[in-house]
Amino acid sequence: MDFYAKYRKQLDWHIGLLVFAQQLLVMGAGWLLYESHRVTDLTVLLLMSGLSVLGAMLVLHLVRRTASEPIQKLWQAIQHIAPQGDPVPAPALDDLRIGQELVSNLANHVYQMASVVEDVERTNAKQAQDIHANFIANTLPLPLIVIDKNDTIIYANEVAYRYFDIPADELDGKNLYTAFDMSFANEQTVELWLNKVRQDSVTANNSWERVRIGLPGQNKTKQFDLAAHYNKSNPMGYETMLVLFDHTEVYSQDDQAMSFVALSVHELRTPLTLLRGYIEVFDEELGPNLTPELQGFMQKMDASAQQLAAFVDNILNVAKIEDNQLTLQLHEEKWDEVLKTVIGDISLRANVRGITIKTDIAPDLPTVGVDRYSIYEVVANLLDNAIKYSRGTKEIHVSAALNKDGMVETSVKDFGLGIDGAILPHIFDKFYRNHRNRSQIGGTGLGLYLSHAIVQAHGGQISVSSKVDEGSTFSFTIFPYAKLADANKTGDTNGITRGAHGWIKNHSLYRD
Amino acid sequence: MDQTAPDPQLKKVLCIEDEHFISELYARALTKAGYSVDVQLDGQKGLSAAQTDTYDIVLLDLMIPNITGIEVLRTLRDPKQTPRFHGKVIITTNLEQRDDVRADIEKQADGYLVKAEITPRQLVEFLTKLEPPQA
Repeated sequence: MDFYAKYRKQLDWHIGLLVFAQQLLVMGAGWLLYESHRVTDLTVLLLMSGLSVLGAMLVLHLVRRTASEPIQKLWQAIQHIAPQGDPVPAPALDDLRIGQELVSNLANHVYQMASVVEDVERTNAKQAQDIHANFIANTLPLPLIVIDKNDTIIYANEVAYRYFDIPADELDGKNLYTAFDMSFANEQTVELWLNKVRQDSVTANNSWERVRIGLPGQNKTKQFDLAAHYNKSNPMGYETMLVLFDHTEVYSQDDQAMSFVALSVHELRTPLTLLRGYIEVFDEELGPNLTPELQGFMQKMDASAQQLAAFVDNILNVAKIEDNQLTLQLHEEKWDEVLKTVIGDISLRANVRGITIKTDIAPDLPTVGVDRYSIYEVVANLLDNAIKYSRGTKEIHVSAALNKDGMVETSVKDFGLGIDGAILPHIFDKFYRNHRNRSQIGGTGLGLYLSHAIVQAHGGQISVSSKVDEGSTFSFTIFPYAKLADANKTGDTNGITRGAHGWIKNHSLYRD
Repeated sequence: MDQTAPDPQLKKVLCIEDEHFISELYARALTKAGYSVDVQLDGQKGLSAAQTDTYDIVLLDLMIPNITGIEVLRTLRDPKQTPRFHGKVIITTNLEQRDDVRADIEKQADGYLVKAEITPRQLVEFLTKLEPPQA
């Protein structure tokens, strides 16, 4: 149906009718006046002329209203969808008397065109964004994760999904820390950094080395370096971008070195277990019938097996420290009980050399915050060294008291060989041996290096004072539990996780 | 420590251990202390024995043939498994774990002992101190 032809027809009819009616009116009025005989011909002429003019003006007015109304509605429709200017309401097309179909049709065309334009614009914008997000992000050969200001993952590129072996889109909308349990090589975690830069930076960059992620449901660990870019006011809400540089293979070679140590330790421990077991059986069942000399040999054998077991533990712990794998669980412990346990276990080794360990533990010591297993190693190593270097002297003194800084200080004092002043500064170095004095300090390196690392991880200090031929005193400090818990602002139920070199296994310390 | 009178509620022990000399030593010490001890040398047989018989205590090595000790432990502690094992599981191993792995194991087990660090007598002392399971 040609709406324009219909409109033209409507218009023709309308105007034609109006003109015809007006002419009829004027003629009729003229005829009536002419018949009345009371007016002159001139008056009739004048009146008819006036009436014609008035009628023409009326026709003009009506024609203008009917003919221009559609155009006005159309104009309003265009203005309605115009992006600039004051908002104009959509025209009401139902009350159009003439050309309703034409105008409705035209207005619909206008609206459709506008929405097409809008779609095109939107598509263009999205394409630009896609180029931004997909082209750059997906051609980047590195896993990329974008989070918003609430730590929610809003984008991860394809490489990231492949890297973590996660189905696509599984990360979107997840909390970064819930999705990834990252372990950092030191206390400077991403979370800590973000909390800081969110407070006092507009943009910031940072990077981390040797970050670990254990993948949920998978028996794999990924190791990588991490770079982050933070932008407080990114218009897309891309607050922080994290880029991962995978080094799993390189870093896990360290792990494999570790597992070589673990395997060796396992192999060493099996015969050790047996040796200690058989020694015990012989000691218990034959011991009473043996001569004192043979009884002594039996004890020395037992002490030697224990010493070997302790050394194997040292190897393992040094490997763990080297590999940032030693984690400490600091718990509240009674220090006198810990000391007595170690001394009880070591006493056989002292006794077979005729040495007595004397203790002087201050009464009312506060409880301490220690990892029981690790701190045991420290005391055991210091005692082992004292036994080794007592050289014929018969006593070792162990004392513990609160020092002036409010730390619990423990000292192990022997009266034997002593250490040359030239060696003292290096005594806690790994495997340190002074060649001139090899015979004097050979073999101490491992235990002291380990003790140093463990004490430091506890937040304490280890020190030595010594005089050749008069003996050595090794002292270390540890935190009273209350002080430690206060410093870490944590509840006392779960203990406190620490690592050698301040290695924090996860960020639970900072959570909650 | 009175070794001849262990808690009568914890008498039956299964030792899952592939190192024959070690299981022999442990069995000897435990038997002398009044426990009855069965030994299994591999994970699969150990697991079936633990599930079919009624042991009070399972001594579980981690490096064992067929099924690893960790798998045995997980199965014994799985609430969906029937019949359910209600005894104690004590890990006895010389294998050094990563600390987080060990922590995971310790959560499921009732004890974790490094064999090289204890003698058979110390093992007996440890078992004697175990609380009997909740009825």
